[in-house]
Amino acid sequence: MLGKLITGLTTTQLEIIEGPPAGHIFLEGPAGCGKTTTGVERLARLLESGVRGDSLLVLVPQRALGKPYYDVLHTPGLAAGGLPDVVTIGGLARRMVELFWPLAAEKAGFAHPEAPPTFLTLETAQYYMAHLVRPKLAEGFFETVVIDRNRLYSQIIDNLNKAALNDFDHTEIGERLKSAWVGEISQLRVYDDAQQCANIFRQYCLEHNLLDFSLQVEIFYRLLWQAEPLCQQYLKRTYHHLIADNIEENPPVAHQILQDWLPDFDSALLIFDQQAGYRVFLGADPGQASELRRFCERQVLFSESFITNPSLKSLEEALQRVLQPEKNPALPASLETPGDPSLALSYSQARYYPQMLDDITDRIADLIAQGTPAGEIVVLAPFLSDSLRYSLTYRLEAAGIPARAYRPSRALRDEPATLCLLSLAAIAHPDWQMSPRKEDFTLTLLQALDGLDLVRARLLADSVYRLKEGKPVLESFAQLPASKRERITYRIGEVYDRLRDWLENAASGPVEPLDHFIARLFGELLSQPGFGFHADYKAAEVTANLIESVQKFRWVAGEPLQTEGIPLGREYLQMVQDGVIAATYVHSFQEVVAEAVFLSPAHTFLMQNRPVEYQFWLEIGSRNWFERISQPLTHPYVLSRRWEKGRSWTQSEEERTSRESMTHLVTGLIRRCRGQIHLGLSQLNEQGFESRGPLLHAFDRLLRNLPEIEGGPV
Amino acid sequence: MNLPDNFVFSQGNLQDYVDCKRRFQLRYIERRSWPAIKAEPALVHEEWMQLGARFHRMVEQALSGVPAEQINVSPEDEKLSLWWRNYLSLHGKLTGIENAPEEELSFFPELTLSAGVGGYRLLAKYDLIVITSAGQLVIYDWKTSVKRPRREWLADRLQTRVYPYLLVRAGQTLTGGLPVPPEKVSMVYWFAGYPDDPERFPYNQPAFERDSSYLEGLINEISGLEPTQFTLTDVLQQCTYCQYRSLCDRGTRAGEFTGEEAEGTLAELSDLLFDLDTIPEIGYD
Repeated sequence: MLGKLITGLTTTQLEIIEGPPAGHIFLEGPAGCGKTTTGVERLARLLESGVRGDSLLVLVPQRALGKPYYDVLHTPGLAAGGLPDVVTIGGLARRMVELFWPLAAEKAGFAHPEAPPTFLTLETAQYYMAHLVRPKLAEGFFETVVIDRNRLYSQIIDNLNKAALNDFDHTEIGERLKSAWVGEISQLRVYDDAQQCANIFRQYCLEHNLLDFSLQVEIFYRLLWQAEPLCQQYLKRTYHHLIADNIEENPPVAHQILQDWLPDFDSALLIFDQQAGYRVFLGADPGQASELRRFCERQVLFSESFITNPSLKSLEEALQRVLQPEKNPALPASLETPGDPSLALSYSQARYYPQMLDDITDRIADLIAQGTPAGEIVVLAPFLSDSLRYSLTYRLEAAGIPARAYRPSRALRDEPATLCLLSLAAIAHPDWQMSPRKEDFTLTLLQALDGLDLVRARLLADSVYRLKEGKPVLESFAQLPASKRERITYRIGEVYDRLRDWLENAASGPVEPLDHFIARLFGELLSQPGFGFHADYKAAEVTANLIESVQKFRWVAGEPLQTEGIPLGREYLQMVQDGVIAATYVHSFQEVVAEAVFLSPAHTFLMQNRPVEYQFWLEIGSRNWFERISQPLTHPYVLSRRWEKGRSWTQSEEERTSRESMTHLVTGLIRRCRGQIHLGLSQLNEQGFESRGPLLHAFDRLLRNLPEIEGGPV
Repeated sequence: MNLPDNFVFSQGNLQDYVDCKRRFQLRYIERRSWPAIKAEPALVHEEWMQLGARFHRMVEQALSGVPAEQINVSPEDEKLSLWWRNYLSLHGKLTGIENAPEEELSFFPELTLSAGVGGYRLLAKYDLIVITSAGQLVIYDWKTSVKRPRREWLADRLQTRVYPYLLVRAGQTLTGGLPVPPEKVSMVYWFAGYPDDPERFPYNQPAFERDSSYLEGLINEISGLEPTQFTLTDVLQQCTYCQYRSLCDRGTRAGEFTGEEAEGTLAELSDLLFDLDTIPEIGYD
């Protein structure tokens, strides 16, 4: 295995991989030039050479980027021994806070340092934020902000995270935002409100031993890493070798820790992807990451791409020139790279959006017919709307092409199985007074009873479901007139009665946690023969995710709710209905990538760090390639360590950073393409309007100089 | 070959295979969620698991240098307080290293070792490995079981075979590259509720050879099975605490967690949680 991997490596790569387990190397270069391969092979070689596996730390900015390292660690041929830790800075923070909690809890100001900490997920943090901010909204907070309440809560959480990741005090959030603001004066009040909500949330966390992500990072960095010798000793005693990949995607506290820690590592390999930094909106600071090179004895530059061909390299250069002409003022008219960019690009034009999708489907079908594996094709857009996902997936599947769309997270409440489970929970707990609507009960029956069709489900629901004093009541099948029973069928009636009896028993029995109720409902009833979840793996997966979401909610909010006399199940249902708890689930990053055409938002594809043969770019006219999402309560650039306090954020700053991030985005995409990029253009966009954003203009200018390209001028 | 690429074996999934081939297939090859209740009363089972997790965390804190007096347990957590007191009273008297001066011992808490076996990777996560100055390697496994299992049952568990075997195979990483003779290895189960009644299993070359051949054979057998050959167990008692029971039409209700039957399965159930694999890596992603 290792021998096979070694094949094809350059001398410089081999030099790093086979170098002694000593010294600090800063390895940089553009995407696709073999940096991660070098890191992975270096890891394998260190283990082969007898370095203790558990003394190796691999730091990645997000779990998905650790996959190549996990893969090599699971290789059968790898040397026997201890296993390295592959962690994110967030994972390391949580681990250390858990381990050294007794030493940090009191210093951090927690009201109950003797009790264990409760770690919040994003979902439960959002729940508490909503709990605390809702009364403030009634007082008039955020009056001028017109966004969904849940986005408002998440932006306050985001502000706290940015403060922690940039190591400034959370009490500075409002002032920093205000001092950079140059628009309407009413916005200043919004920032004050955001500050006050952040303060209230932090105080509440300290009073109840709750640790959101920001508090975990802050405690780890300030109280453990900087101030607790035992923690530093532990880390330095444990880890002697470091591989830190994609350091440009990490936040400043991670860089500061690396800078402090580097002298203590016997060996370190820091890997920096030039012109990346795709996670700036999550606090990444590529500028500070690049400064770490000063703390390494050796700097190595990889510049030759193993991915792109000369034509793609020329395309990259040509696009950069039109996207950022100010950065390339003195360049000669002809391209410096030798390839022909027109060979790397093709496009098709249509007046209407569906025509464009048809054309893309045909082209993908042609590629597959010519022997291109489906997994070597991606379709990218700045955002992947549900309608685009559906329209294209439908077309591809109709053409017999396997397709897989990226779903960052899917709201469980949108799943029929969830509706069924939560409706039955509400019926079994009439005191909650959260009776399902008749239509929802019909859909519930459709899910719960095997072999039931919609017509019979409606008839059954109409016949057996009613409300009595606001509480749901289910009649027995036997009480229905014979004509109805016959229409519904006795087989369905028998299964329905089992469901009814089970719910009645549950309602009259002792109250149990909602997650246990759902697990019991699933195991004892719905997954049994005759019921809709029997042998249904999809429904089981949704149920498992719902149970996990409720369980986490109970572990965090159970006690306070009990103190207030509020049933946890009712509160959970209410929060799901309000959208505060999205009950989303994210597919594991280790999910096997199917041999299928991949439909994805452009940023998401970049963070997979996976080159492909063909890329199809859609919605080139959209301004979403260029503009940030509107976030009235936060700001990724102002809330960073690099932003000078008091400096104004002007329109020209906005223009400059937008252009820069668009350039990085398209450059990153080109560098992850081996063959060709195809632009799917339509005169009218998905909504039926003309859109001519900056990326379309850039291609327009570029294509005017490439007359021979397939498709003609844009 | 039905296993996913780079499949990793552990004592847990091998034990599942030995208990029920179909359970192994559903859980590890097909990765099927089937969220039925495992043991009743579910809340008692859950609380026991959480207590066990907290106990393991406290021991890890102590072994990582946090002063024991700063590791707090609320007196209301009677069971946990008792376990913790039992652990603290162990000080310097761990079975297998009773007479060794502490300064001559090397402690390796929460260590993961792995090695290639039968064309796959075999992995184990140890609660604690202690190496004495005389070269003895003692594996400790903290058990917070409801009941204290019998020696025969423990001896039969895959854990009792995989842990010492893998330490011999991969332990040179702890000994500065020196091979680990099987005779120097032993395994101790320490029961938090029965502190004076640990179970010790010595190891030796014949046992190592037997385990080597057994584990390689087992892994070869699993990797060679066709999907239809992952059959249901004939031992129906195995289904009592298995979440797939309704999928396999093997019953509706979970077994009693505090019941008298299935001593071994109960011991395992109350310890299931502590595989560090189940603790997710938290990323800002």
